[in-house]
Amino acid sequence: MSVLTDLIIRARALLFRSREETELEDEVRFHIDRDVHERVRRGEVPDKARREALIAFGGVERYKERVRDARGTRPLEELAADIRYALRGLRRNPGFTATGILVLGIGIGATATVYSIVHSVIVADLPYPQSDRLVRVVEQNSATSIWALSTADVTAIRERQRVFEAWGEIQRTEVAYSGSGTPQHIVIGRASAGYFRAIGIPVARGRAIEPADEAQGAPPVMVVTDAFARRTLGGPDAALGRSLSLDGVSHTVVGVLPEGRDELGGIRAVAFPVLQLRAPTRRGPFWLRGVGRLKPDVTLAAAERDLAEISDALLPLWSDFRDSTARLTPQPLRDVVVGSAVKQVGLFAGAVALVLLLAIVNVATLVLVRASAREQELAVRVMLGAKRSRIARLIVTENLILTLSAALLGLGLATWGLDLAVAQLPDMPRIQNASLDWRVIMLGIGAAVLSGLLVSLSPVAALSDEGGLAPHAASRRTGTGQRTSAMRAAFVIAEFALAWPLLVGAGLLLNSFVRLQRVDPGFDPAGLVAVGLSLPAARYAGVADVLRFRELAGQRVAAMPGVESVGLTTQIPPDQSGGNDNFNLVHRPVPDGQAEPNSPWYYVSASYFSTLGIRIIEGRSFTPADTADEFPVIAVSRSWAEHYLPGESAVGRQLVQGGCYNCPRTTIVGVVEDIRNLGPSLPMDAVYGPMSQYGGRSMQVVARLRSMTPNVTARLRDELRALDPELPLDEFVLTEQLQASLADPMRWAAVLSAFAACAMGLAALGVFGLMAYAVRQRRREIGVRLALGAQSGVVTRLVVWRGMRYAAIGSAIGLGVTLLLANRLRTMLFDVSPTDVATFVGVGVLLLGSAFLASWIPGRRAARIRPIEAISSE
Amino acid sequence: MNRESIDLLQGTLDVLILKTLAWQPMHGYAVTRWVRERTQGSIEIEDAPLYKALHRLERAGCVSAEWGLSENNRRARYYRLTATGRRRLKAEESEWRRYAAAVLRVLEPA
Repeated sequence: MSVLTDLIIRARALLFRSREETELEDEVRFHIDRDVHERVRRGEVPDKARREALIAFGGVERYKERVRDARGTRPLEELAADIRYALRGLRRNPGFTATGILVLGIGIGATATVYSIVHSVIVADLPYPQSDRLVRVVEQNSATSIWALSTADVTAIRERQRVFEAWGEIQRTEVAYSGSGTPQHIVIGRASAGYFRAIGIPVARGRAIEPADEAQGAPPVMVVTDAFARRTLGGPDAALGRSLSLDGVSHTVVGVLPEGRDELGGIRAVAFPVLQLRAPTRRGPFWLRGVGRLKPDVTLAAAERDLAEISDALLPLWSDFRDSTARLTPQPLRDVVVGSAVKQVGLFAGAVALVLLLAIVNVATLVLVRASAREQELAVRVMLGAKRSRIARLIVTENLILTLSAALLGLGLATWGLDLAVAQLPDMPRIQNASLDWRVIMLGIGAAVLSGLLVSLSPVAALSDEGGLAPHAASRRTGTGQRTSAMRAAFVIAEFALAWPLLVGAGLLLNSFVRLQRVDPGFDPAGLVAVGLSLPAARYAGVADVLRFRELAGQRVAAMPGVESVGLTTQIPPDQSGGNDNFNLVHRPVPDGQAEPNSPWYYVSASYFSTLGIRIIEGRSFTPADTADEFPVIAVSRSWAEHYLPGESAVGRQLVQGGCYNCPRTTIVGVVEDIRNLGPSLPMDAVYGPMSQYGGRSMQVVARLRSMTPNVTARLRDELRALDPELPLDEFVLTEQLQASLADPMRWAAVLSAFAACAMGLAALGVFGLMAYAVRQRRREIGVRLALGAQSGVVTRLVVWRGMRYAAIGSAIGLGVTLLLANRLRTMLFDVSPTDVATFVGVGVLLLGSAFLASWIPGRRAARIRPIEAISSE
Repeated sequence: MNRESIDLLQGTLDVLILKTLAWQPMHGYAVTRWVRERTQGSIEIEDAPLYKALHRLERAGCVSAEWGLSENNRRARYYRLTATGRRRLKAEESEWRRYAAAVLRVLEPA
């Protein structure tokens, strides 16, 4: 017969399935009727004759399936039938269905969210052509001590390097910009022509920065982002040729970056003006970020060797820098951009994997309980002739429908979760690019299919269990395989084991957060406000201009009603940007060839100490006599003194600051009490120099108020603006700043706590489900016990004891696993050991307590069973 | 089931059905009865394999089926041998004869 006819018959069979089906039934009915008829004629009793005829036919259902086999449309038909049947089954049990979809949906949603972030933050390539060839070069003298490059460094690299096909530098900084409306601070990246070439992103309009622009005295030019051009310059085309004032210096826009690009080489900025370097006069300071593009066949190791040679050649050239261990070191740019995010994101990837696993185990338990409840129905189907493999497929289909629906819900939740995460973690590098791309969608669907198969394993295994589904089970309500109940117990144990690491992790982070919050900042932040400003060099050219502004500003603010005192500083605590300097003690210098120590370094007015309430422990504060014409003086913090001058008096000691050996020596005149300058978890070393000996143009005006009034910062701002209406000003309320410094640890603790709460809920739900089911199944037995005079308390205890046993076994396993994993959290903890006993005990109490409650409820229900009803209802 | 009945050899069923239908169109039940009577109860065709085979033969174009009325006025499905079926029967019949003769030659005392 031709293939065509065969196809037509198959197609017809599929399309007119129901008609064929009725014909088939008619044919079978006719056959059986004839057989019965014949048997009766031979003298059999009609009833018996029909039964015999049915038996002779060998199972009507089985027969029909064989015929369908012969028709050749069977696989498709069965799939359709399975789906219809599964949907009906799921609709009939809305509670089961909703719980399963919700639990797994949340698990898949959380997983998809976290893995989108993982992909975008850690895995994805940098958005530059051949980005794997981009390296950043840093100064490095130990595994942890890494710093930026100096003008001397980059000059030497430009002249001598042989490994890069392009090399450039950039400096990220904030400048005052007063194009239209209120003056404001904008973030810029001052970049060299080589930087644009190295990154390899061409401008969309105009031109990039050229080497000729870098010459001293060349007219300053800049490239702006498309977004900035649209927002403030009337669009990318209109932007070209416009002049903008940055810190009072006019810059001409020569190029606009492609739309959507707001960073170059990991530096997010609105504008990229030209970097014009002066010839170096000494080795330091170190302030530039250097990036090179490796030539096609050059390895990182080769670049390292080339740069090491340059380091060696540089050292003897500059007398102010004596660290022979410092090396120019290349790092893949990708590692630099991703940075510490790997660890944090990695932690959450691990945590979310645990949550997903828990969700799967939970759904598996649900499915198994439901399968036991359906034993009867399935047994009847087997008796009617359905094949076991067919029933197995039915179970798998049903579970796949369940888990795929959960994936749908989960991916929906993930789009929302991703928006939330991007909003909550603005500092995470590259998180803005996170999206649910096809990889994550495949991951979600893959997780659903896998979990669908996993949760089907146990009921299918129970199916092949000889005793499990034998027809006689149909008549025995309590008939259930030993094996399935062992599996259910194993699931519940696994749930408790999985919950442990999550709860301990959350507990440790919360504990750590509480301790961070309790840390005494060393000053009273209440009533402190600050206004940050930076004077443009163009209008405040000389030191005298700067000093005069400071004096006037101090006077004006001090005269405001409600202001108790006012001080000036370069950085308010908690200091996010970190002014640092290196130094060498005169009476105890570091050995030749070693790195000089480095400390946070601030310049403050004398009144800063009194305004914040920082006590002078030894020596003196600054006086008006400490002017720029006098020898430089400093005050140091108590921690600094104990660190570098243990057991001796710091006052009167001298040091060389910033590697400047031909500058006058600096004398320590005072020791002041510690404050948490760098935030609650970091060391309190600090050096304070007098503002009067410092010519820098950036400062914070700090005022202590008698009481906080709502518009006080606005009044403060107006007061300063009266001095110079062109100044961009940033206001801070110090209590808020301190809170903000805790935002990260709080967020991490919050996210992990949410996961942990899910985990605990799921584990409790698991043990509750198991015990409730056990009680329902053993209703009759319990009834008999009660009828025979068992105390209701004993019955409750029996149930609770069993539930607790599972929880305890799971907890023992979880405890072991957690002890192995806990150390990974160490760097995220403050003042809490990763094996903190209180946290572990607390988690144990919480989990076992929830297990107790979860098994006590069904235990109570068991005790209330009425013996007569339980026994007679069977 | 008849204790003397012999198990059907693999591949025998189709030729039995085709041969039976060669006499006249019949419904499935009649095919069983016909074979049983012809073999004096030695061969008992099981019902389910019978219908499976009938449908398979229908799909192969060896038989055609249509609904008709049975001896006692019930709707029954009648199977009729087609030309293809007849050719197939012929081929299978000669195949069977040669096969049976060969087997017998082995079994006969020499």
